Amino acid sequence: MTVEIGILTFGEITADRTTGALPSPQRRMRETIEMAQVADQVGLDVFGVGEHHRTDFVGSAPSIVLAAAAQATERIRLTSGVTVLGSEDPVRVWEQFATIDLLSGGRAEIIAGRGSYTESFPLFGYDLQDYADLFREKLDLLLKIRERNPLTWSGRFRAPLVDADIAPRAAGDTLPIWVGVGGTPASAISTGRLGLPMMLALLLGPITAHERTVDLYRSAAAEAGHDAAALPIGITAHGYVGRTSRHARDTMYPYFARGMMDNNHQRGRGFQMPRAAFDAQASPAAGLLVGSPQELVDKLLRFHERYGLNRVLVHIGFGGMPQKELLEGIERLGTEVAPVVRRETAATPEVPA
Amino acid sequence: MSQVVPAAVPFRVAVVNGSPSERSKTMGLVDVIVATLRDVLGAESRPIEETRIDVYRLGPGFTGALDREGVTPEVEAALRRAEEADLLIAATPVFRGSYTGMFKHFFDLVDQYALANKPVLLAATGGGDHHALVLEHALRPLFGFFQAMTVPVAIFASSGDFDGTTLLNPRVYGRIETALTDVADILKERAAGERTAPVG
Repeated sequence: MTVEIGILTFGEITADRTTGALPSPQRRMRETIEMAQVADQVGLDVFGVGEHHRTDFVGSAPSIVLAAAAQATERIRLTSGVTVLGSEDPVRVWEQFATIDLLSGGRAEIIAGRGSYTESFPLFGYDLQDYADLFREKLDLLLKIRERNPLTWSGRFRAPLVDADIAPRAAGDTLPIWVGVGGTPASAISTGRLGLPMMLALLLGPITAHERTVDLYRSAAAEAGHDAAALPIGITAHGYVGRTSRHARDTMYPYFARGMMDNNHQRGRGFQMPRAAFDAQASPAAGLLVGSPQELVDKLLRFHERYGLNRVLVHIGFGGMPQKELLEGIERLGTEVAPVVRRETAATPEVPA
Repeated sequence: MSQVVPAAVPFRVAVVNGSPSERSKTMGLVDVIVATLRDVLGAESRPIEETRIDVYRLGPGFTGALDREGVTPEVEAALRRAEEADLLIAATPVFRGSYTGMFKHFFDLVDQYALANKPVLLAATGGGDHHALVLEHALRPLFGFFQAMTVPVAIFASSGDFDGTTLLNPRVYGRIETALTDVADILKERAAGERTAPVG
């Protein structure tokens, strides 16, 4: 299958590096939809919005952002990245994404995940003690809703459904549901057993970091009787496409370092990522998707060779990159990187999500 | 042992559970260990009689005891079950870089020589793989003090190996099988030794 290439955003609200001023949520929302539009216009395949329930992100309700993006775009697929399913009602998730599917002519998808931020659990009255059980049960319900209607179902965390009519149905036969996996072996195994497509997150580290994860996923899938080789795998990593190697790194680094400072805490506080560490992560053996168009093509093909990727989502703009640079990066990804990667990977057999 | 032991006498397996949680990854790991032990011993073996001692649920008669004389009769019984077992499974989560406080308190009350030459299987769970050496740097020295026979292969599992409290990672399953093959050999040899021991 041709590798699909897209972008992912969390709708971060980050202070301006020089003035310290925060952009308004309204402006960030407008910019987020503009990202979707440009990504669509330059021919990218997927636009993803992450879910974070804090004032430093505008993406608390990705389904609504995606519904707006549906109206602003023509062809691009629209996905959550991820839907924090453990603190959601799967009935509502289905209704919302089926609605996006109708609005967009069948372009909606869900990446269900446990979530790496935990703010949503107390907000919606869930106990983090039940984190694993919540996700397992809610994923089960979401898959059952997709599978049949009306539905009779019961579980621990919500009232039972008796012959429940859940509407609307999707525009096509179904909605693709992926599972987001950060790399814990148990998540990969559970996802493989269910035979669901797996979206891997690679924050930092070597390209090989997920070899074990993918092995466990495919062998668990095979053991459960699924066609393991045919299951789609996607990967998401931070990145930026510049005019040149140097331009890409110089543009991305200060914002990315800022985003890491704000979000990746150690000893209860952020830490400054040195430029040398960033450059190491940008090297051919490491996972950051930053570089010139040709560098990105090379790196994505390396990823594809190693994992048999079906989809790549480049998390772009983390840390408050100005909209102008950000849109230029999206444009280069769509016009200079994606066509080459698609052409080079078109030989492998087709797999539906 | 100086008397013949009939084949139906069970192997007494005592689990000392150092986890404060009602449902825990540590006990998820122990469930797999005990089930695997049954498999490895085989159907023709003596049955397993398992007893679990949850140190965090032994109550004030345990937590308030400063020495063995100070424990309540229920706690005394729990200590004896650990001391008299054919196999002791010592299982704990990693707290603050080591076994949990109540886990150590339990062994502080165990008789100094009660575990001498007793097979002890070490198991631990932690938030990440970087805690794995708690087995070798904290648990094994503790049982070294007791002159216990710690089983060569100890078992560690990280949070990421579990879905909730269910162990999923096949690598950990493999490690458990390796450890329990050694345990089964020891238990069978000792049982055979008891059977052939002279009467009187």
